[in-house]
Amino acid sequence: MIVLLVAATLRMAVPYILATTGGTFSVRVGITDLGCEGMMIGGAFFGVIGSYYSGSPWIGMLCGILAGIVFALLNGLLHITFKVNPAISGVCVNLLSTALAPLLLKLIWNNESMSPIVNNFGNFADTWLAELPVVGEILATQNILLFITLAIVLIAWIFLFKTKYGLRMRMVGEAPVAASTVGLNAIRYKYIGEILCGALAGLGGVYLSLGQLNMFTEGMTAGRGYICMVINVISGYNPLGTIAGGIFFAFFEALRTVIQNAAINANFLMMIPYIMTLIVIVISARRILPPAGMGKHPDE
Amino acid sequence: MNVIEMKNVSKSFPGTKAVDSVDFYLKEGEILSLLGENGAGKTTLMKILYGMHHMDSGEIWFKGKPVQIEKPSDAIDLGICMVHQHFMLVSAFTVADNIIAGCEPCNGIFVDRKQEYRAVEELIEKFHFGIDPYAKVGTLSVGEQQRVEILKTLYRKAEVIILDEPTAVLTPHEVDDLFAVLDDLRKSGKSVVIITHKLKETKAIADRVMVLRDGKMIRDDVDPRKSSFNELSDMMVGRHVELGVVDRTKRTGDVILSIRDLCLEEKGHVLLQNIDLDIHSGEILGLAGIEGNGQSQLLECITGLRTPQTMTVMIDGKPVSGGPREFLLSGLAHIPEDRNAMGLVSTMSISDNLILGYQDTPAFSQHGLLRQQRIQQQAQELREEFQIKAPDIQTKVGALSGGNAQKVVTARALSQRPKVLIVAQPTRGVDVGASEYIRARIRQLRDEGAAVLLVSADLDEIMQLSDRIAVIYEGKIVYETPADVLSDVELGMLMTGGSPEDLKGAAHRHA
Repeated sequence: MIVLLVAATLRMAVPYILATTGGTFSVRVGITDLGCEGMMIGGAFFGVIGSYYSGSPWIGMLCGILAGIVFALLNGLLHITFKVNPAISGVCVNLLSTALAPLLLKLIWNNESMSPIVNNFGNFADTWLAELPVVGEILATQNILLFITLAIVLIAWIFLFKTKYGLRMRMVGEAPVAASTVGLNAIRYKYIGEILCGALAGLGGVYLSLGQLNMFTEGMTAGRGYICMVINVISGYNPLGTIAGGIFFAFFEALRTVIQNAAINANFLMMIPYIMTLIVIVISARRILPPAGMGKHPDE
Repeated sequence: MNVIEMKNVSKSFPGTKAVDSVDFYLKEGEILSLLGENGAGKTTLMKILYGMHHMDSGEIWFKGKPVQIEKPSDAIDLGICMVHQHFMLVSAFTVADNIIAGCEPCNGIFVDRKQEYRAVEELIEKFHFGIDPYAKVGTLSVGEQQRVEILKTLYRKAEVIILDEPTAVLTPHEVDDLFAVLDDLRKSGKSVVIITHKLKETKAIADRVMVLRDGKMIRDDVDPRKSSFNELSDMMVGRHVELGVVDRTKRTGDVILSIRDLCLEEKGHVLLQNIDLDIHSGEILGLAGIEGNGQSQLLECITGLRTPQTMTVMIDGKPVSGGPREFLLSGLAHIPEDRNAMGLVSTMSISDNLILGYQDTPAFSQHGLLRQQRIQQQAQELREEFQIKAPDIQTKVGALSGGNAQKVVTARALSQRPKVLIVAQPTRGVDVGASEYIRARIRQLRDEGAAVLLVSADLDEIMQLSDRIAVIYEGKIVYETPADVLSDVELGMLMTGGSPEDLKGAAHRHA
């Protein structure tokens, strides 16, 4: 039971961690990460498309990442270049993405709610990892994206807090005007942050369709992109924090799948992650402050 | 030798010619005061030099060679740096991070933290700045933040340092410190431009003065030591303005505004502590203090915007309580400290702004409908009386200059013939001519018998206008004195927490 729960928690945590790390880049350059949901849907859907036509989940992954980037660039174009309110541009991305998936499902496969089954990332069940003592049983149900995710988080943290580009990026998010007065191209950094957000949220979506499942179904992101906004807050906009935050929410999600057969009403269990979101926001949102330059433009 | 020459530079913004065929030069190792009123084009001219604005026509020469400055990094590469009026700092970063961001010492792509802190510490040491490089900038005082800005320019090996209104936010003591720093910079061969409209500082520190007016260079080689305040002011304004008029009250009457036992606490912090103030009819009480010592909260409490834990306010002997409406209707008028955020609705017309807060008095409304004819008529009268420069009374307030916008706020408050006037920062961002006019109107109201509470970050303004001065420090009134007793240095000491006993020592030393 515990092994099952831990294994399920890890599987549920990966998309949260990926998309939230993406959201961290977005917030760190001063842009609300509201569009994550749409970027995840894009990643999940186009990941399946890529795998369907190529037969390779890796090509699918690239397609999913690219789709996330395209939606992120749309958000960037609206908010960074045309100075649309970031809440509105984010909602635009989410609505467009939500509407696009069923349309393409219908056009390509003549089915409005799900894709056919495609090749996905296989788990480690038949590898030496599953043979390891203690952790083998947990690793058996994981796939390669788990390790890629952990590597990404570490690299993201080093990039943001140890390199000069990370320092500059954070400066743009805190004070875009100040950044441009020391000669930085704030617009460029904002786009880079947005692109990284799209890539990682897209990859998070890919994990949903090609890691957890082997197909796309409508509504499969189930608001995870929005939960990522919350995880981003409690992790203090720090990539390392997203691991703890992601696992926290994934645990409750896993709980509901693992103890489905128990006496507790299934509908109640479904609510748990969302109730946790509410509680966490009430407790933490006022204490953890986003960068001071949220939503500001460098030429104001 | 001229380190910088700008030849025939022009720059237009939609509707205005901000800089009009200006020739500018800067000599090596001098402190130049670029003097002019708000909107004269000083900042625009310097932002062109710093690459933040693009000129429409003209040339820039640096050390005898023509250069192209397209963006701030081009200027920084040449050794031209600018300290902006609104500091360009990141509160959440450390001092050192603020200084190096954009030109980081690196190992590959990694920031070399050791090198970073060593370099910053050396600079702080060299210029005796006494700042902790590990401190978060948000925890520093305004004067310290300015020094961080200057360190940013020194770290970038600036040869030309431009400071935009550097003293606007400093206490008299901090101004002295700044001037000592500028003097050091001059001695080490750097060229400094200070953009200012303050004559006192121009005379105190500048080697040469250039005067800009309406985008044109009026004089480019004024010797500040050989010019009087009034000469400089006349050049700057373009007509004669009587400066620093002192006209103390001739007759004070009964207490009109009485505040007792005002205590305000927020989240466990005591913001205001047992404030007692009495202001008489025919008296201006000036509240001197460094910004952030509770002035804003005091203003909010005594205008009804915020309800403190305890407070008794009496206006003309009658207790007042409730919200802003009750305070307004009991004869208190308020000129708020931030006219754009609290005083005006920038997208509304002058005539509508002139009745805000009084819109449902019988004078302006009847049966729930606005009496447009009377509103327009009053607006016409006030525009003429207060010389508000605008095409007509339907002009949106957002299109007015700072001085004219402030006149709208002032006109609204004074038009109600208040018994009590609460006025904060009456001349912030307002040019010399309009400032003197607004001050004269405040004195006129006092002479008609009103009680005036004046809050200003500008100590000179407090000293010029007040009949009595109270000093606020950390939410407490620490000293009260009639005007003309204490010098600005002594007041400055009280404002920074010095005790009245220190005062006597200082007075002795002065004597």
